[in-house]
Amino acid sequence: MFGYVVPEKPEMKIKEYELFRAYYCGVCRSIGRRCGQLKRLTLSYDTTFLAVLLSAAAGEKVQALRKRCPLHPFERRHVISGSSAVDYASDINIILAYYNLEDKKRDRDSAVSAAALAMLKRSFGRLRKKYPDKCCLMEQRLGELIRLEKQKCGSMDMAAEPFARMMEEITAYEPLCTGEETRKVLRWLGYNLGKWIYLLDAFDDIEKDIKSGNYNPFVYQFGYNGQDVEEFRGQIREKAAFTLFYTLNEISRAFELLDVKLNRGILENIIYIGMLRKTENILGIRRCGEVEESV
Amino acid sequence: MKNPYEVLGIREGASEEEIKKAYRELVKKYHPDQYRDNPLSKLAEEKLREINEAYDYLMKNISSGGSGQYGGSSYGRGGNGGWSDSGSDFFRQVKSHINSGNIRLAEDMLDSSRSRPAEWYYLKGLIFMRKGWYNEAYTHIQRAVNMDPANYEYRSALERMNASYNAYRANPFNTRTYRSEPDLCTICQCLWCSDCCCECMGGDLISCC
Repeated sequence: MFGYVVPEKPEMKIKEYELFRAYYCGVCRSIGRRCGQLKRLTLSYDTTFLAVLLSAAAGEKVQALRKRCPLHPFERRHVISGSSAVDYASDINIILAYYNLEDKKRDRDSAVSAAALAMLKRSFGRLRKKYPDKCCLMEQRLGELIRLEKQKCGSMDMAAEPFARMMEEITAYEPLCTGEETRKVLRWLGYNLGKWIYLLDAFDDIEKDIKSGNYNPFVYQFGYNGQDVEEFRGQIREKAAFTLFYTLNEISRAFELLDVKLNRGILENIIYIGMLRKTENILGIRRCGEVEESV
Repeated sequence: MKNPYEVLGIREGASEEEIKKAYRELVKKYHPDQYRDNPLSKLAEEKLREINEAYDYLMKNISSGGSGQYGGSSYGRGGNGGWSDSGSDFFRQVKSHINSGNIRLAEDMLDSSRSRPAEWYYLKGLIFMRKGWYNEAYTHIQRAVNMDPANYEYRSALERMNASYNAYRANPFNTRTYRSEPDLCTICQCLWCSDCCCECMGGDLISCC
């Protein structure tokens, strides 16, 4: 994925930060343990968020152990272990990394992605057997996405649909969320999360996509006709902001319906502050120098 | 029934004032207006009912002597009376499908319709909202408002969308933690001023200047 779902560190309590890092390390270790050390390079913040969220929704009893890690040889770090949410998130991390590389390879045939793809192939094959339904649905969605992109879909809502649906599928992992209600809430949360990620990434890539001629939903929705890219971004900024913030609002509403006792501070930080910052930064509506950078 | 203190998110034995405060905040958070046109509205209603029950229970037990001025007036489902019976039978049917969550059927019905008055765009907008297609939803409802500017229902739907868009950014998490702290310049200025004042009075705050 893309690493957009991050906490705003300066606003975290130290214990929340430590716990978040323990989840991060937990996902990383879990990948290393079950898929091989090299695959730890695919780790992303988005799947850490998934681990934190699902762990909270499931009300898991988690355990943080202090362990050594080859990447940080001089200190022991807290690592969440024995959590099925963390294990699930690490599986999803590999699956998404694989799909992402496949996509990259399709776009431009580079040796690097081909090599990485070969490296992931075996782990992916194993995971595909472990989650046959999920993978099948995800591949179906990705197929839709490719088709829409080929057709140069002129509606950003329609273009974002397959990815949003895919995230919906990922977020609602039955064995971890008991109860019809929790599942429903997680589905809506996941749907909007996917939508936000897809559209934010698209807005971020407008310039790149215009140059390279790749598909970008904003370019087709708002009819880019060769003007200055910065000017175009300015024209559509308000429209993009509307959908992005609306989506974030839906995420926060869904989150408030979730019966979360664990990890509440971290999740609130990410949902209400981290994602807001990210959106403002990418949209370019952040008033510079106003906040923490000033010191 | 769940533990009422837990439902309201307060410690056991909290004072009446604390209970009221927590209650007011929660009601604001889960108010039906916040979840209109949202697939999770039923759950929010449920949550609100739970909160109301907990609140009523606590208030009854705290002030058994009376003064239950809030007791009876717990907030119910505020909206939903809004569906006017204007428009044809066809649109009314579509509306009832939307309300009962049968989005696909409602959409099929609308798509099969030949005539496209303002009401059509409005309902289509509502469907898009339920599906999470916010840009389309806004465009459609905007169009309905343009076609029939006098209609209150359309306008209020548009206003609700605008309010939702603003709600997230106006969240207490952002206003509380940001912009309230002084930056370095302000701190320096304060120090300098205090130093001057002290020196005027014969003392000294910062000895080196």
